Amino acid sequence: MIKRSFIGLTAPKLKCDMVEPDPKDPEAIPIPPRMILLLNEPLDSIRESLIKQGDRVQKGERIFLYKDSQSYVTSPVSGAITAIAPITGNYGVDATYLVLETNTKQDVEQSFAELAATPNIENADRYLRGIPGDPPLKQLADPENRFNRIVITGVDDDLMCTTRQYVLARFADKIDRAVALLKQITGINDISIAMTETMAKLPVFNGMNLVRVASDYISSLPPMIMAKHLGIPFVPGKDLDVCFIPVEAAMSLVRAYEEKQSVYDKVITIIDKTGKRTRVTATIGTPIHRIFTRIGVETAEQDRIIIGGPLRGIAAYTLYHPVMPDMDTLIVQASGESPMASDYPCINCGKCVKICPSKVPVNLLVRYLEAGLYQEAADSCDLLSCIDCGLCSYVCTAKIPIFQYIRLGKHELMKMESEIQTEAQNV
Amino acid sequence: MSKQNKFTVSHAPFWHDGDSIKVMNLNIMAAALPATLFGIFQFGTAALGVICLSIASAMAWEALFNLASKRPINIHDYNAAVIGMMFGMMAPATIPWWAVITGTFISVIVGQQIFGGIGGNPFNPAVIGISILILSWKNIFDFDAALLNYRFDFTSLAPLAALKHQGTEVVELFPIASLAMGNQLGSIGSVFGVGIIIGGLYLIIRGYIRWEISLAYILGIIITAWIFNITDPSKYANPIFHIFTGYTLLGAFFLANESSSSPVNLIPMFIYGTIGGFLTILIRNIGSYPDGTLYAILFINLLNPLIDKIRPKAFGKGCEKCVK
Repeated sequence: MIKRSFIGLTAPKLKCDMVEPDPKDPEAIPIPPRMILLLNEPLDSIRESLIKQGDRVQKGERIFLYKDSQSYVTSPVSGAITAIAPITGNYGVDATYLVLETNTKQDVEQSFAELAATPNIENADRYLRGIPGDPPLKQLADPENRFNRIVITGVDDDLMCTTRQYVLARFADKIDRAVALLKQITGINDISIAMTETMAKLPVFNGMNLVRVASDYISSLPPMIMAKHLGIPFVPGKDLDVCFIPVEAAMSLVRAYEEKQSVYDKVITIIDKTGKRTRVTATIGTPIHRIFTRIGVETAEQDRIIIGGPLRGIAAYTLYHPVMPDMDTLIVQASGESPMASDYPCINCGKCVKICPSKVPVNLLVRYLEAGLYQEAADSCDLLSCIDCGLCSYVCTAKIPIFQYIRLGKHELMKMESEIQTEAQNV
Repeated sequence: MSKQNKFTVSHAPFWHDGDSIKVMNLNIMAAALPATLFGIFQFGTAALGVICLSIASAMAWEALFNLASKRPINIHDYNAAVIGMMFGMMAPATIPWWAVITGTFISVIVGQQIFGGIGGNPFNPAVIGISILILSWKNIFDFDAALLNYRFDFTSLAPLAALKHQGTEVVELFPIASLAMGNQLGSIGSVFGVGIIIGGLYLIIRGYIRWEISLAYILGIIITAWIFNITDPSKYANPIFHIFTGYTLLGAFFLANESSSSPVNLIPMFIYGTIGGFLTILIRNIGSYPDGTLYAILFINLLNPLIDKIRPKAFGKGCEKCVK
């Protein structure tokens, strides 16, 4: 953890970690006997579901919960469903998880293989959602999408994370295929690749449309890339016009079409309590304790398991949490290291205002948010200009969980807006 | 499923820069030490008694108020201790004990706790306490009378009172170097200008106070005093004399900077400081009080919420050029 320096005249500058110069190939974690799959749909006990305990699924088979389900999860293995249960995720999002007992014999479902010769956005969206890197295929397939540009990001959007940089470095010679494939399936010709300045010097990227991102922390966040490098103004509260696709997602698409089947092995960087990094590939759905046991990472009571980076990640409460398509980094943090939030009020020290890259008046904003005045916070304190970097909480002298308040505020606002829209539709 | 460890779950971020209110307050108190120790050296154990009593009573008042309002006792963050220390520094060494206890009551309870405690005070609590004492028992703060029984080997006059009553010829009685080294009558913590500047610079370098306010305040003093001085040098003292007398430096580095009653945006900080310096000199030169620092600070505290509304456009708001 980077502590405050003795000299505090200016706001601290946090640097992102760079991928090591000559990275080792990641260790492959074997497919475990039990897999856990998450479906982004609440389980409804009244409705008849398409799947039930004991059902057999093939590798590559898409699992839908109900007849009219929009979302699906692709089974990474052949096996039998042994449990279906509801689960509540972040911000009370209801989802469903399935436990899959892996078969020794692996049959592959073939319906995608027939379509793989003609890549297009429809079949990509139909079969390849949730491949490693989590490409935003649903949004791209939506005919009403506003995207006119694609940025393949080879930079990580948090401190300590290096997975995307690794994938970009590892598959640098194949990146032109990813660009061509994305052009073909989306019809968007303006595709650029965001990478660190050091990587942009590599000859392999010559002649490509590059975005050179500085190594300081917030430069790699999508709104910043848009405003600083692409010259597209960021409009608070509106969806981005640029589609950001992690480089791993782009490479997974290439592999899926070349191998004529969906792919499941996610690259994950694991950082243990001593700061040692290990990179592994694990099948999506592998419970993370399998990875920890395999590479010898120990966890103790009251540690923190962080999925993602230290400033924007989420804390997992169980080691049975499965590997997800967008899980780039896993950090184990010892219990003593974790900062505790306090219930002190804002003392107006001004550090957050100084460090905020969006120039949000955080000192006032937090007062509105603490009082639950979300609409007022958006109207008079620029809540929606926040780009979710977490730096205000990092420097807060009073240790107020500002970032949590901000995300809660945005979440509540979105809920309010969607309620208004549904009401308007009903009238 | 086997027995599982229980993990700590919380919202991001999982890093913190390690700062806390306690660390900040300890730093402020450490920065105030050079000036305070000099005051104790100058005015003897009486001064030590005043400082100890004011810190102790301020903490006691906060603890009592926390008890009475059924809130957790928070004196371990040293917030009340800082208020007590500032109060003690602004008091003369001869202040009676009951005045200290009354003053810290006003500072901590009336100045801060009734507004909701730390972070809620619209005015600098210590300044509120001292100002009310000055209004109520002004003889206590007549430094010439209060320190009558002391014998010093320098001009035993409070510079600003002398200036008010006898005119600018007294300025020559106080060489600037001597003033800066603490050879003047005044409160315990305000006489040693060099010590206050060292403490202030330490806090600025550590980032615990906002340098913009201190700089603007001093600039406000210098510019205003200079304008007065060039219009009528026989009537108004020079800017440097104003810097090293009264509560000026204490105001610039410790009082005007109190975090919850001062602005946080760049332009407001400069406006706030400059108005503070301007008003200080205005009260000194035209008003009836010898020193205007405290009232000037209370006044800019009052302006703070208004001027802090001047702030940069947030990311993505307003014109296209505003997006960096």
